[in-house]
Amino acid sequence: MTQAIFGLLFFVFLILPPVASLMESIMIIHMHMQMPLLVISGFLMAPFFQKKLPAFFEKWNQIGIPGIFLFIIIMSYWSIPRTMDDALTIQAVEIFKFISLPFLVGVPLRDSWAKISTVWKNITFIIFLILFTAMGILYIASPDQLCNNYLRTEQVTLGWGFITMAAAILIYLVQLLFINPADYE
Amino acid sequence: MALAETIKTKANNALGVNPQDAKISKSYFTVTFLALLIGGTLGLVQGLNRAGLFELPSWLNYYQVLTAHGLLLILVFTAFFTIGYFYAGLSHTLGGLIPKVRKMVWIGFWMKIFGFVLAVIPILMNEASVMYTFYPPMAASPLFYFGLVFIVLGVWMAAFGAFVQVANWRKNHKGQHLPILSFFATGVFVLLFFSSIPVAIEVFMIIPWVLGWMETINVMLSRTLFWAFGHTLVNIWYLTAISVWYVIVPKVIGGRRFSDTLTRVVVILLVILNIPGGFHHQIIDPGISETIKYMHVFMSLAVGFPSLMTAYAMFSVFERTGRAKGAKGLFGFFKKLPWGDVRFLAPFIAMVAFIPAGAGGIVQTTNQLDQVVHNSLWIVGHFHLTLGMTVALTFFGVSYWLIPRISGRILTKKMNKMGVITTILWTIGMSFMAIAMHLVGLLGSPRRTSYTTYGDNATALGWDPYLIFLAIGGTFLIVAVIMQVYSAFHLMFRAPKGEEEFPIAEEEEDASKTPFWTERWSRTILIMLIVVAMAYVIPIVDFIGDPGSPPWKTW
Repeated sequence: MTQAIFGLLFFVFLILPPVASLMESIMIIHMHMQMPLLVISGFLMAPFFQKKLPAFFEKWNQIGIPGIFLFIIIMSYWSIPRTMDDALTIQAVEIFKFISLPFLVGVPLRDSWAKISTVWKNITFIIFLILFTAMGILYIASPDQLCNNYLRTEQVTLGWGFITMAAAILIYLVQLLFINPADYE
Repeated sequence: MALAETIKTKANNALGVNPQDAKISKSYFTVTFLALLIGGTLGLVQGLNRAGLFELPSWLNYYQVLTAHGLLLILVFTAFFTIGYFYAGLSHTLGGLIPKVRKMVWIGFWMKIFGFVLAVIPILMNEASVMYTFYPPMAASPLFYFGLVFIVLGVWMAAFGAFVQVANWRKNHKGQHLPILSFFATGVFVLLFFSSIPVAIEVFMIIPWVLGWMETINVMLSRTLFWAFGHTLVNIWYLTAISVWYVIVPKVIGGRRFSDTLTRVVVILLVILNIPGGFHHQIIDPGISETIKYMHVFMSLAVGFPSLMTAYAMFSVFERTGRAKGAKGLFGFFKKLPWGDVRFLAPFIAMVAFIPAGAGGIVQTTNQLDQVVHNSLWIVGHFHLTLGMTVALTFFGVSYWLIPRISGRILTKKMNKMGVITTILWTIGMSFMAIAMHLVGLLGSPRRTSYTTYGDNATALGWDPYLIFLAIGGTFLIVAVIMQVYSAFHLMFRAPKGEEEFPIAEEEEDASKTPFWTERWSRTILIMLIVVAMAYVIPIVDFIGDPGSPPWKTW
């Protein structure tokens, strides 16, 4: 439960207006730091919900697949450039961001990751590898400004952020080809 | 299984040290202490020169001495000790090195030696007085960089050897936790490997530039790549030192280890958080925005967190051990510690030195405070406390039991006494020097500058009394260096034959079970890579397209 309390405190810290506006002032920090940190806060809060609502998770996320789909869908939604503009200009979308990322991404991720098989885990990694590579190319190569609120130079930085994340995932997947964890555990 | 393990451990203990593995560590230690002797002597020369007491001969220039002193002590002394020590640890805790690994670490050894000889030639010829940071646009002779390439390749061989050894052990011991000392070794070699990638990229940027194939070099990018390595190297020493504090020191004082889980978490945190810390070495660099520098304060201070955990753990072990021996009162346990045992005294002083050293480090990572001390002698004072006290004294403490252990000899009472005196002399010398450097740095005396009075400027003359302390400290230190080098070789070749213990502390009897996720290195490395990517992508993208610089020879 300590974890859940820390998660909640962390969540409150992240949505404090000065913290949020500082993080949203730089494009890459908005997408690659604020958003993942919101997910992590939800990830930490997950045990609270798992403990209080076991029946709910049992009913809706028995084998973990629905949860991981929810995770992928919401994450994909937030990688669309337009959504960042919306979050900055429309208060309701900003609130949706603060709710969706912890509770519809972090919580189901924690619940599902323990339940799904290695194959599904790797599929998830591959989906994000493809998504991040594509987004990276889009953000770097696009001749236009994709977000009204951020300059094109910031967009290129974010693109490289995506590419480096994709590279890290790729390295992880490649090592799986050579190293079988079952040999060691 | 448990029985088989016990039998194996007993057999290991009875057979003692594998002579082939011992030879590896002994060779590494020989280089370590020769580097200490030469590097230490150059240090004295520098201290005397800087104090205005000694004029260098015309064929030797201050920056040459400084480059050699830095390279010998920052790179050779530390790297060779770390590798020798951890290979002894791997051999001891994992039941001997496998033949393939032995071959790899030997190849690594000779590659490093070869690379080092290549690098030293231009330094001696005054063609590479670029200091250990070799910042472009200062350009040394190409030979210097070729040497660096071989040093990096040699380090990689040692790292891969360790990975092969650990993977092999884990295959044969499924589901078991890696013995704690080997766990530290794995963390250190992971960091060594991943941090030397950026510096390798930097060197491969420099080589075509010094050969004239490329006209200019991106200075900011190369400095950033250097510090991604440089700062991590600092933390590799530190991680090596704390492996001694967590694993060896409790046994020496007759206690038990602090929580196994916490120890492993500290290693994992240091592996994940370290590489991005390099930015605080670039706080004064132009071309990185204030926001990024501000953010990196968090990254740097994040490394402070596991350090504070370590400080807590150490004093907790001291207190528990003292109380178990019947200590009373709040600080009674201090009296129960084995002050006369160099295996304890040296690492203990090292820990105490880390309190001001760590605090000074926090000053330097803070943007505003760093403005006052950057590029002054304060910085030099700081790393003489961290490397010169915390790391060096811990390494010396290890040498008094590890060298006799692998040489089939024992630490005699006499040598122990010699060690205690060395430790005290070293502490006095380094304290004089480091404190004086910190103070004179605050008064504005620059680092990396040959002696000058700036035309008898009053401020510059005001530094002189402090600089005299550098010479005094240096003199104490050279005595300690000679004693330490003598001890190391005496224990290797002359001490009475026998068997010295490899002191590895046990866990508490009621210790909670360590969770298995701590063994999942792929995941740790994935997180590390993501953190590195997050930290570096913004500034590096900012450097794209910056105008470059042609090579300069400033000396």
